[in-house]
Amino acid sequence: MCSLLRGEEMCLAQLFLQSGSAYDCINELGELGLVEFRDLNPGVNAFQRKHVNEIKKCEEMERILEVKKADISLPEGDVNPVAPLPKHVMAIMEQLQRLEVELGEVTRNKEKLQRNLLELTEYTHMLRTTRNFVQRTSEVSVFISGLIQRTKIEAFERMLWRVCKGYTILSYAEVEEYLEDPDTGEPTKSVVFLISYWGDQIGQKVKKICDCYHCHLYPYPSSNEERTDVVEGLRTRIQDLHTVLHRTDDYLKQVLMKASESVYTWVIQVKKMKAIYFILNLCSFDVTNKCLIAEVWCPVNDIPTLRRALEEGSRKSGATVPSFVNRIPTNDTPPTLIRTNKFTSGFQNIVDAYGVGNYREVNPAPFTIITFPFLFAVMFGDLGHGVIMALFALWMVLYENNRKLKNTRNEIWNTFFEGRYIILMMGLFSIYTGLIYNDCFSKSLNIFGSGWSVKAMFEAKVWKDADIRGNRVLTLDPNVTGVFRGPYPLGIDPIWNLASNRLTFLNSYKMKMSVILGVIHMSFGVILSTYNYLHFRKKHSLYLVFLPELLFLLCLFGYLVFMIFYKWLVFTAKDSRLAPSILIHFINMFLMQAPTLHRLGMYRVRFDFADEFLHQAIHTIEYCLGCVSNTASYLRLWALSLAHAQLSEVLWTMVMRVGLRMDTSLGVFFLVPVFGLFAVLTVSILLVMEGLSAFLHALRLHWVEFQNKFYSGTGVKFCPFSFSLLPSSFEHDGLL
Amino acid sequence: MAELSFNVNHGYLEGLVRGMKAGILTRTDYHNLAQCDTLEDMKLHLQSTDYGKMLSSSEEDLTVSMVDSKLRENLLTEFSCLRSNALPPLSTFLDYITYSYMIDNVVMLITGALKQRDVAELLPRCHPLGAFDQMAAVGIARTPTELYSAILVDTPLAQFFQDAVSECNLDEMEVEILRSKLFKAYLESFHSFCKTIGGDTKDIMCPVLEFEADRRAFIITVNSFGTDLSCTDRSALYPSCGKLYPEGLSLLARAEDHEQVKAVANCYPAYKIIFDDPEPGSGFKTLEDRFFEQEVKLNTLAFLQQFHFGVFYSYIKLKEQESRNIVWIAECVTQRQKSKIHNYIPIFQETT
Repeated sequence: MCSLLRGEEMCLAQLFLQSGSAYDCINELGELGLVEFRDLNPGVNAFQRKHVNEIKKCEEMERILEVKKADISLPEGDVNPVAPLPKHVMAIMEQLQRLEVELGEVTRNKEKLQRNLLELTEYTHMLRTTRNFVQRTSEVSVFISGLIQRTKIEAFERMLWRVCKGYTILSYAEVEEYLEDPDTGEPTKSVVFLISYWGDQIGQKVKKICDCYHCHLYPYPSSNEERTDVVEGLRTRIQDLHTVLHRTDDYLKQVLMKASESVYTWVIQVKKMKAIYFILNLCSFDVTNKCLIAEVWCPVNDIPTLRRALEEGSRKSGATVPSFVNRIPTNDTPPTLIRTNKFTSGFQNIVDAYGVGNYREVNPAPFTIITFPFLFAVMFGDLGHGVIMALFALWMVLYENNRKLKNTRNEIWNTFFEGRYIILMMGLFSIYTGLIYNDCFSKSLNIFGSGWSVKAMFEAKVWKDADIRGNRVLTLDPNVTGVFRGPYPLGIDPIWNLASNRLTFLNSYKMKMSVILGVIHMSFGVILSTYNYLHFRKKHSLYLVFLPELLFLLCLFGYLVFMIFYKWLVFTAKDSRLAPSILIHFINMFLMQAPTLHRLGMYRVRFDFADEFLHQAIHTIEYCLGCVSNTASYLRLWALSLAHAQLSEVLWTMVMRVGLRMDTSLGVFFLVPVFGLFAVLTVSILLVMEGLSAFLHALRLHWVEFQNKFYSGTGVKFCPFSFSLLPSSFEHDGLL
Repeated sequence: MAELSFNVNHGYLEGLVRGMKAGILTRTDYHNLAQCDTLEDMKLHLQSTDYGKMLSSSEEDLTVSMVDSKLRENLLTEFSCLRSNALPPLSTFLDYITYSYMIDNVVMLITGALKQRDVAELLPRCHPLGAFDQMAAVGIARTPTELYSAILVDTPLAQFFQDAVSECNLDEMEVEILRSKLFKAYLESFHSFCKTIGGDTKDIMCPVLEFEADRRAFIITVNSFGTDLSCTDRSALYPSCGKLYPEGLSLLARAEDHEQVKAVANCYPAYKIIFDDPEPGSGFKTLEDRFFEQEVKLNTLAFLQQFHFGVFYSYIKLKEQESRNIVWIAECVTQRQKSKIHNYIPIFQETT
């Protein structure tokens, strides 16, 4: 509990690692995740550190694995292989390189075959298309034929014309099929062309232009017989190539299958190894060069575990001289470590999002566990909505070990899933406040029977039949005996659901409740600050800061709360007309006692130091103004709660009641879509949207109004060296 | 008023290019790179910069030429991202940037063809920013006229050929003259294009292009000493959009040795510092390097103002200088010339 309230006690320790066993020791520590290493060579460049070659080797292996990952479908497993020993690294490296060479060879072969196939296909196309190009063959002309990309043909033709000045004849036709471009893999349209030209010089130029436009040239057969022969030959070769390609594919698949078994292990092993060398680079050598010195932050309670881990590491490496730990005194502020479990971690995250606490500062998280869902529920108060929310969270909690829920990449879903315990608490508290407000989907539940009676009004002869017929609205008089038989046992009397002045009544009630809750919440925050003053030995602050602050808060707003309770308790239905207005009274009090503020400012004059004085003066003014504005800020509880109740009522009257009003049997069928609409709107608007907005306001009330009374949140989080915290093995991320 | 609507069309790209600019290597990066002992070390260090895993995908051992081509590829990817999202007139402006690389490519291909080199061997050495379809056919041409009318007439370079058309055979000298004439036409055209855009683009780009024009004039003059290029021939090659135009150019045309060129430069404070003798103590720098230094200075100024196209030009030029720096350091590392390794030109002096 102490750890949750204040964070773990930390110490700076020096590890003396024998150079032979350093690797194993760090490995052991990485598995446990106990300590945070400090960089002892901050002035040294990355490439000048000791183990830069090992890291380079790891990077090389990562690069090979990176390439493999693209081809291999990986079995996602929960295996956790240990980091390999340095002597085993060469074996892994060798295996990897062999695999790379083999794969590279097969892929290259495959590419070559595909290219070959493409050439043959193109040649076939060319022969088939050019058959009709030339009707009369003249003896002098020479032919060049080939294929060119569809987009380039115009420019090609133009340049041909310009360079050869018309001594060529170009005829071309488009190939219907799309042929795959071997470089990009995209299907492209090609054009078969045939150029006939005269003269050698022109021929040279034509060939150069063809090169320039990346044409694929193929020999042009001189006679029709030759053509048919070539086509025949091509057909058989294409068939052969297809079978060979098929075989290559099979082989490639086999190689990949074999590799996929070990790739996952390798990826993790290489990651771990790289991390270990990274940490070794942070260490420095002692004078004798025989052992490495590392400085770590470590929780005091974990030092025995740390010792055992080092012993284990030394034993594993078979070192004769043990590695050991030495606590060293320090003036540096240690990082903050607050141990959490799956229930508290969500609430701790809410606090950490504002700022990680200073070392050994009071941590608001344990109180947030109760106050956060409660303040949320004050704004979200509805029994029905609370039940739905709680059930949803309960489902997530019960199935939290389900891998499908845990391992999704949907960020929005992950946010909800991470906060499942918060949502559960919020749902449960909403059920409670819903009962107090007596609101269930904007309707009231009449469980214990209302404390008001209409019948009594008739029995006392105040109302007659004519009154009921003549008036749309009548007022129950609690002063008549029997009309008001005492308060409803739990929360708001259900009869208010029927009353036309319901809103006025609830407004007054919720407004006062907000102020009461706010003042209690803030006073609690101020009281928590004493824990900080006591722990950090600032007794003077107890008298000079805490007491004036508490006095100011209680004398102004504490008095306001007192007046609210006093008015509730003292004035009954009978003398309600005599009740004074708290608002007017409070304003009058303020105007008359305005000098109080100044006196509080003067209080600080005792301090000699000018900046201390200035600082405290600013703090005083800030606190005084802050108290006023913070109290007003708590009225958001009222506003949000009102908005939620009104919105759910609007939804009921505008949607559900329309369906319920239909009298005929058709109404049953009509009710089905109407209920569907009602359900969808309830979940999307009232639960999700309103829930988010209430969450946000509860967050603000905690971060600003509550935490600024005692929490500074300028600490540094303890981030231990742990393999489990390494970036997920298959995400492309740098180390640490 | 152009500032009001600038962001409608070009705001995204300007933001993008300014973001890219933040990735330009800083002093500390260069300092760290200069400490490297092997190319592998450089690769490791470049991984921590915006270049990321650029070099790590290669399977064979690193060579300097591979680093160079990777850097060019990188620049091409960035540029094509800008170009494909650009709207006119920015798209035209970006095209203008590529033309200078196209001219260089054409000249290189012709020179290669004269030396009977194979086109397939030459193509990978062309700058990818200046690649165009008809590039491989350039070697066919025998004269500038043929080059123009047969091959380049469809390319955007055609507009720069007005003065360059001639019937003399292309030899090495003629190719250099062709390059100078093309550049002259190109710079003048780019200059007037920037003028028509007006606004801050004009204010930023014109000094940069004027500097470029004057640099060409100086370099042509210095290189022509000892060749049979006559004064009138020479003056025909000077771009007329620079600060030297017209008096400086006519003086330059008459210059006959380095001292006279220096005398011309002394009349212009901006160029005086380039030709000044180096201070004792500082290392010797070539004229080219001093011009580069000055160019970097001019280009960094472009980022001080918003809502203009100059940043795009400057970014590409600075990035090119950065590539030159990295390649220089890589060369020094592989040839173990540690003493010369600091002769790179840092781009942003202060560490931002």
